Amino acid sequence: MKRELIIATEPIDEAALVSKRAQSDGMGAAVYFTGIVRGSEEGKAISAIEYESFQRMAEHQFHLLFDEMEKRWPVESVRLMHRLGVVKVGEPSLWVEVVAPHRGEAFAACEWLIDEMKRVVPIWKKPAG
Amino acid sequence: MQVTVHFYSYFKEFAGRAQVSVAVTEGASVGDLLAKIMAQFPRLAGLQKAMLIAVGVDYQTQDYRLKPGDEVSLFPPVQGG
Repeated sequence: MKRELIIATEPIDEAALVSKRAQSDGMGAAVYFTGIVRGSEEGKAISAIEYESFQRMAEHQFHLLFDEMEKRWPVESVRLMHRLGVVKVGEPSLWVEVVAPHRGEAFAACEWLIDEMKRVVPIWKKPAG
Repeated sequence: MQVTVHFYSYFKEFAGRAQVSVAVTEGASVGDLLAKIMAQFPRLAGLQKAMLIAVGVDYQTQDYRLKPGDEVSLFPPVQGG
């Protein structure tokens, strides 16, 4: 399974990322997820969220998840970008692409990856007023 | 032996620093280390139930036996996405 992981402060350029999609002839599904910063947190208006990570561990934990994902589904490739630092309301903080033979496994793998990320990958957020 | 402890997210604010070096006896567990940390940083004691523990880049339990050079990280539940 091909994998690409970027955890960085640079803005997520969705169009540029999608334009770099590559898949073999047997792949019939590419599922995308974009996580966007909402304008409120726990009912309170915010202007941005500041993301912090324990970078070395975050990368390691993502790769453990990719290893597990590869065992569970016939995924050909996964690309994931998570932003750090200050991300304004309306901007993407997370972008994921999963390529697999069929949509069922691509959706399932993508959802599982995001759920598990929120459980084990050491990234934290702090709302900014 | 000396063990370095790193704090992340609001644990850093509660501890008032990003890291500390702690002396523990040979064979000490993460639990033994935590007892020392809580004594030194009492504001963290109330957060212990929701505390995640890593040694290096892997999660560990309080039973883990520390080795010289281990780097322990303490942090709250993660919130990526």
